[in-house]
Amino acid sequence: MAQVHEFKMEMTCEGCAGAAQRVLGKLEGVEKVETSVEKQQVLVTSALPKDTLLETLQKTGKTCSYVGTQ
Amino acid sequence: SECVKIQVIGMTCQSCVKNIETKMATQKGVIDIKVSLSENEATVMYHPIKTSPQKLCEQIEDMGFDASVAK
Ligand SMILES: [Cu+2]
Ligand SMILES: [Cu+2]
Repeated sequence: MAQVHEFKMEMTCEGCAGAAQRVLGKLEGVEKVETSVEKQQVLVTSALPKDTLLETLQKTGKTCSYVGTQ
Repeated sequence: SECVKIQVIGMTCQSCVKNIETKMATQKGVIDIKVSLSENEATVMYHPIKTSPQKLCEQIEDMGFDASVAK
């Protein structure tokens, strides 16, 4: 079942947020991605394991960490 | 070594530029990389035996940007 996973990600602008959106968007099994530069937060709706999502986010080269499910 | 210009779409600030330069510099076969935000372009010097322009584009795409070999 899909859950909303919260990640903390170092984002300095909408470009960073766009990169997060794009890497996750390519992943099959991701339903929704919400980003907030202001909150340094990425919310991912997916049934995929959190480690898969985190590894994918890390591909952007930005520092990110897992916060938890909402 | 060879040199290729790659068009990179999606960069908005110097942190994006730094990010791509830092990560791509560690990829196999990359000798040197310079990224220009104003030109939306990466200039990469590489070993043709170890990597290829297509491979370099894929690696940049993987980071969440659109990349294609500039004509
Ligand atoms: Cu940014
Ligand atoms: Cu940026």
